[in-house]
Amino acid sequence: MASRYRLGFDVGGTFTDFMLVDQETGTTFLNKCLTTPDDPSRGVMDGLLPLLDRAGVGGDDVDIAIHATTLITNALIERKGARTALLTTQGFRDVLEMGTEVRYDIYDLFLQKPELLVPRSRRYEVTERLDKDGKVLTALDEDGVRAVAQQLREDGAQALAIVFLHAFRNAAHELRAAEIIAEELPDLTVSISSAVAPEIREYERMSTTTANAYVQPITRAYIDTIQRRLREMGYPRNLYLMISSGGIAGGQTAKDFPIRMLESGPTAGVLAGIHYGRQMGIGSLVTFDMGGTTAKIALVKNYEAAKSNVFEVGRVARFKKGSGLPVKVPMVELIEIGAGGGSIAHVDQLGLLKVGPLSAGADPGPACYGRGGSLPTVTDANLVLGYYDPNFFLGGAMSLDVEAARKALETQLGGVLGLSAEQCARGIYEVVTQNMLAATKVHIAERGEDPRKFFLFAFGGAGPAHAYELARLLHMRGVIVPAGAGATSAAGLVTAAVSFDYARSLLGRLDRLPWEEVRRVFDAMAEEGLQVLEGAGVARDAPGVVVKHQMDLRHKGQGHEVTVTVPADVIADGQIDRIAEIFYATHREKYGHAHENLPLELVTCRTTVGAAAPEIPMKRLPEATETADVAQKGTRPAYFGELGRFVETPVYDRYALRPGMLLRGPAIVEERECTVVAGPSAGLRIDAFGNLFIDLDEAPIAESKEARNVETERA
Amino acid sequence: MARLAQNLDAIDLEIRWTRLVTIMDEVDAAVARTSFSTIVGESRDFGVVMLDSQGRSLAQSQLSTPAFTVTLPMTAKHLLRACPVETLRPGDVLITNDPWLGSGHLPDMTIITPVFHRGKVAGFIGCVAHISDIGGRSDYLDDKELFEEGLRIPPTFLMRDGEPVEVLFDILAANVRVPRLVIGDIRALVGAEALGARRLLEFLADYDMDVLDSLADVILARSETAMDEAIRSLPDGVYHAEMDADGHRHPIHIAVTATIADGRVTVDFEGSSDEQHDSSINCVMNTTFSDTYYPFKCSLLPGVPNNEGLSRFLTVKAPKGSIFNVNFPRAVRARSKSSFHIHAVLYEALAPILGQRVQAASGSFWTLVASGTGTDGELYRAHMLPNGGKGAVTAMDGLATIAFPYNGMITPVEIFENAAPVLIGCRELIADSGGAGQYRGGLGQRITFEPIGPNPLTVFVRPDKLRHPPAGLLGGLPGRAGEILVNGKPTPPEPTTLQSGDVLELRLPGGGGFGQPSARAGERLKADLESGYVSSEASRQLYQLQVE
Repeated sequence: MASRYRLGFDVGGTFTDFMLVDQETGTTFLNKCLTTPDDPSRGVMDGLLPLLDRAGVGGDDVDIAIHATTLITNALIERKGARTALLTTQGFRDVLEMGTEVRYDIYDLFLQKPELLVPRSRRYEVTERLDKDGKVLTALDEDGVRAVAQQLREDGAQALAIVFLHAFRNAAHELRAAEIIAEELPDLTVSISSAVAPEIREYERMSTTTANAYVQPITRAYIDTIQRRLREMGYPRNLYLMISSGGIAGGQTAKDFPIRMLESGPTAGVLAGIHYGRQMGIGSLVTFDMGGTTAKIALVKNYEAAKSNVFEVGRVARFKKGSGLPVKVPMVELIEIGAGGGSIAHVDQLGLLKVGPLSAGADPGPACYGRGGSLPTVTDANLVLGYYDPNFFLGGAMSLDVEAARKALETQLGGVLGLSAEQCARGIYEVVTQNMLAATKVHIAERGEDPRKFFLFAFGGAGPAHAYELARLLHMRGVIVPAGAGATSAAGLVTAAVSFDYARSLLGRLDRLPWEEVRRVFDAMAEEGLQVLEGAGVARDAPGVVVKHQMDLRHKGQGHEVTVTVPADVIADGQIDRIAEIFYATHREKYGHAHENLPLELVTCRTTVGAAAPEIPMKRLPEATETADVAQKGTRPAYFGELGRFVETPVYDRYALRPGMLLRGPAIVEERECTVVAGPSAGLRIDAFGNLFIDLDEAPIAESKEARNVETERA
Repeated sequence: MARLAQNLDAIDLEIRWTRLVTIMDEVDAAVARTSFSTIVGESRDFGVVMLDSQGRSLAQSQLSTPAFTVTLPMTAKHLLRACPVETLRPGDVLITNDPWLGSGHLPDMTIITPVFHRGKVAGFIGCVAHISDIGGRSDYLDDKELFEEGLRIPPTFLMRDGEPVEVLFDILAANVRVPRLVIGDIRALVGAEALGARRLLEFLADYDMDVLDSLADVILARSETAMDEAIRSLPDGVYHAEMDADGHRHPIHIAVTATIADGRVTVDFEGSSDEQHDSSINCVMNTTFSDTYYPFKCSLLPGVPNNEGLSRFLTVKAPKGSIFNVNFPRAVRARSKSSFHIHAVLYEALAPILGQRVQAASGSFWTLVASGTGTDGELYRAHMLPNGGKGAVTAMDGLATIAFPYNGMITPVEIFENAAPVLIGCRELIADSGGAGQYRGGLGQRITFEPIGPNPLTVFVRPDKLRHPPAGLLGGLPGRAGEILVNGKPTPPEPTTLQSGDVLELRLPGGGGFGQPSARAGERLKADLESGYVSSEASRQLYQLQVE
């Protein structure tokens, strides 16, 4: 059968990863090549052609091509977007600059705010005004809009964001202004807030719409280029793009809302976790992606990723909440921690050992890379602790200098702290693990969940080296290191489904809102989503099509909202009491109390429309006929905190491990892109698909499908 | 436990301390998200602190209001004097809002929850928060006595054995305007502390610890040592500065003398105004201490997580009966109209020795409260706390419209217009409002309000720096003073009733400049002109820019 392949490619900062999967057999083909930042499409073709060749597949055999990219995130962080202007309601152009007025650090006199995407000289105003319900108080001054168009032309603006007050209640003025601008300047790309982020709170909406406008021209050009290259290669269908909320969308949607593609690569990694989980019958995961500079953590419950509705781009004080540009878009919630292999250790003013958030990056990189770095990093510590083989880093493509690592630890830390290189290394490993532990713990707790119910799904260059310790300290059920951990994001892409999230603010007391309007808002969002699905060839009544409604609610008088899922029939029938019950239960679960005597206020309506995830089988591997001994490469001394000393530890070759093989910790398992470290209380096993499981008690669970039935909480 | 303290190395201590700060960040998030008061939820006027069994602070959330983190352990010790630790039982929660024991005015409620572990109190989770209302007069600037300012709760039990002390809740509810919101705030704080208590118990179990005290010993001692080194790096000497501020009915005078000797600092407010008998701008000693400590912390050890050990270097003196050491029962509600100037005067005094680490005075926040009856017949009350510009520092212009020295979020225009029948006509930066200097002060802002609908609207504004603008530093000029206008005419800060067609305009002050204006770099001047932050006229007059 033709067109039975799904193609995923993820353009990351350093590498571009590819996965081609046969939807019928589950056979996969992987490739990896260097990203070409000057023209990423070149790198895509460099990697894609040999991959198709190897699989013996033509472009036309590909049923769907799905793409994730760091383009948008990078353009925003590096301020490489278009020359962007803002048009807003008379009197409010400075809102973009004034922001929330909060300081993200209360003791820093030298606090910096992120550089603005639109300087004051390109922020224009026009007379118009809506009231809080969207009623017109002052009509749009159309001549004023035309005058602004003239200024935009003179200024050479390439993109425009239009943001009027209360436009989320009535888009008419924004639409009309966009229409006039299009007449005057047909080549200018225009983003309007009522389409990009129709939510209450003008600063966040303005920031989001501006960011969307800022990346729109480059995204359009980029998507067109990739689509053209794919056509040249023989792929006749539409290109799909991974979006931040965990679905995929067609090229036009991505061009209209490029801001929805933030963090698309990491999001695909979370989807991969869900896909693997489905095959194994494990619905509750914490995905853990630790790379060179950061670790990213996401929560998956019942095969669904936890989402959030706000994100910050380009924090100027690394990892400090509030120091970036706020973006209000639905996203798979990724907690980012300044902890990666390149994170630098130092001694602070109180004589305490700190790790990160500064990173040595790839250049000069950790001291052991021998590229001129002299500061001790997490990778240096892991090397000294015996976790990495100096001669088998990146599968032997690079060798590491143990002496350089030791020297960096001794001179930068050991002297001040009065500790040996090994003690410093142990300290770095513990501190960095604890930093991740703290963030993970808070994140899980904020969701009202218990870490003991979750498996840790570990990938990324450094993830599998820290996963055992993290899972052990959190008392989690175990660790999963997927087969092909090096191309996890690409695996997420090929398993993603078409899906889109909508939001509209509608503020008012639940018991006084005209329910017709509430219903109309939800119906409109659902209809829009179903049309998008149809545009992607998914019939609205196709099996597995899901329309999910949510409401952001609060006790009247509260400043913050809680998002709750509300069944469609409850909305259709206006069952306010039922909605209140759902809200009180959620509030109680999250915060331990609820005020049932206070009226509730609706703030924002949300709808997700999605198609069923494709059913892609995973290929079962033949059962092992030998014991794991055949996969052992040798031994080396490695340090384990539980034992408090170095022990001679067996080292295994991941590619020689077969389903059914069992190993006892402590053990080290090496593969090309990462090294799995398992301590003394670990039991390791390989499942039928080649995934590595680390069980954290004495008796490994025989069959992974049974894992979901294990309710015993391990202490 | 002494053994533990000695054996804690740089690694274990780092790990444990970070975890405690993380717990308090979680408590902080719970308070912010569940409270009802705009002042807590959006303006962030609260602090959460972890204390050992003696009431010593060892960890706080990273965004806690600085002053509260200093006063809370003081208040906790008063609470423990009234309700000794050995008399406490699981499920107890203690409360007070006494200004002299707490953080200086009645709306700030201090609530602490003992955490029981192995049958004993291992430590406390504490919050101070500015709750929605505490009764008393609305136009509180003119208060003369504490008794006009609302309900005072002496140190007592809020919960006993897990049960609410009903009589206290009843009295509270009977004395405030919107009881449901006030009780909601209190319950939110108790709920957040219970969450912190659970997390602390997990921590103690993980490390097999009985109490927090030995860990506190180490943290406090290390912090004290670091601060001691920082103080000793400064030249000994006596440093003095004086400044006038708006006050309420009449200006006040602030005089500070900082004496640095032998690793200790004594700050004396001798020479400052007497306590005010006709307004509520008086400070209790706790407030004076915390606002005196804050600038030292910012300048010397901004990166170290705050705790009690860091403030041990400091002695603060103020004559009894002065505006900085007020006698009971003088009114104190608007204390920050005095205390918010302390850092600026201290920086003026210390600039010669701390030049790279001081900041010119800032515009700071004003309070605006709009209240009335909506067309639906319901009462409404909406707050907004806008900020002026921040003072400049060396090598950096002041940021426009940002909180300092407190921290808080401005209520969004769209949220405010939903909370009150008001139309906000503009919210924009004021050109030339930043004090001129080598580094320019941050710009202030202009906001206009007009009632919509038929009913009148009562507006109460609490401004500052209308007469005495934020001062510049080391040759920098002051920022532009604030103004309040009704229909274009200056108006005194009294509660005002606006009818349909009236326009209230607030002009918040800009921050002070840093260094001589003549030293300002040409490209900075050019950029200011292009953006309209500075007018061409001002650039000629203040900076002698030759525009060709």
